[in-house]
Amino acid sequence: MRKKNALVAVALAAAAALTLSACGGGDPSPKESSQSAAEVSAPTRTKAATVLDRPYKKPDLVLTDTHGKKYDLREATKGKPTLIYFGYTQCPDVCPMTMSNIAVAYKKLPKADQEKLQVVFVTTDPDRDTPEQLGKWLKGAGSPDFIGLSGDFPTIQAGARQLGVSIEPSTKDKNGNVTSMHTKQVIAFSPKTDAGYVLWTDEATPDDYTADLPKIVKGETP
Amino acid sequence: MNRRTTRTLSFVATALAGALALTGCNGETNTSASRTPAAQTDSKPKLEVTGAFIPEPATADMAGGFLTVRNSGSVADKLTSVTASAFAGKAEIHETKDGRMQQVTSFDVPANGTLDLKRGGSHLMFLDVKRKPKKGDRIAVELHFEKSGTVKVDMQVEAATHNPQQHH
Repeated sequence: MRKKNALVAVALAAAAALTLSACGGGDPSPKESSQSAAEVSAPTRTKAATVLDRPYKKPDLVLTDTHGKKYDLREATKGKPTLIYFGYTQCPDVCPMTMSNIAVAYKKLPKADQEKLQVVFVTTDPDRDTPEQLGKWLKGAGSPDFIGLSGDFPTIQAGARQLGVSIEPSTKDKNGNVTSMHTKQVIAFSPKTDAGYVLWTDEATPDDYTADLPKIVKGETP
Repeated sequence: MNRRTTRTLSFVATALAGALALTGCNGETNTSASRTPAAQTDSKPKLEVTGAFIPEPATADMAGGFLTVRNSGSVADKLTSVTASAFAGKAEIHETKDGRMQQVTSFDVPANGTLDLKRGGSHLMFLDVKRKPKKGDRIAVELHFEKSGTVKVDMQVEAATHNPQQHH
């Protein structure tokens, strides 16, 4: 719910900017107006990370990791700084960008911090994302250290729902192409409380993560 | 304009865009009214493709592509298909809606306007990629437009994190 409010606020701010730029000049050039229209979906932001007023409880999620082993999220990440993201590997844009952005920052952390930080990618497309496929993809998109989880879709969907993330199963379009869902939010869990207390959207850059992750490792707010 | 947004954002943006259309800019909303007569008599789309790039993919399974098409002509055009036969067995044009990518039959390139394929939103989708492209590679791609015909572009392979819209 927090997330929604934040998004609405951002949209309102962007719409306000649009209103100003569209009506400000007597004769806006078409170039300007098309650019300001595009700004609606790419609002300027002051800070990438949102600190949640009401933190999420870590989802009770038991899946299979890239080694084919049972992975109990709560048990495996208890007392450790943890990032969670839901996406799929046949994704040309947002999923690999999100993991690569995090990987840039992850690789800049001191070794000891890298060992503490758990980066968890949960597939929204378990039929295609087998543990092997996830492992191969994470190596390219992020880091071999990242944890990739697969399992049955209802379990994944229920886990996502506990974080206010809504996902639907993959579908086939009229041409028989499978389409799956990516999400936009990465959620950080504190090593101190095990609660999900910070959220980034797909607007976050490698620099944003580089600034924020050292604080997440310590359980501080960015 | 809000292909890349979440359901919430797109709903709010749509609602507000509606409000804007109702309340704002009386008499100024039709920007083409102020166009010079010279531009109006030139009845062809005039396309220019800029900022074309492919983020280095994680695997050789598929790749996305992004670019901007500016149309300085007073006639609209449409991007109807894409080919890149040396690079990918199949190339498609996709929009992103509610967190899902779907193939579309065309993208509008408005008169005196811009088609923006940018990260998080609409994109080119390359499938059956023959080899995993690396940062620094240039990929030859043909863009097929309804009126302007084929426009050839070299797409630069960039880092997986490359996102020009974030550098403003």
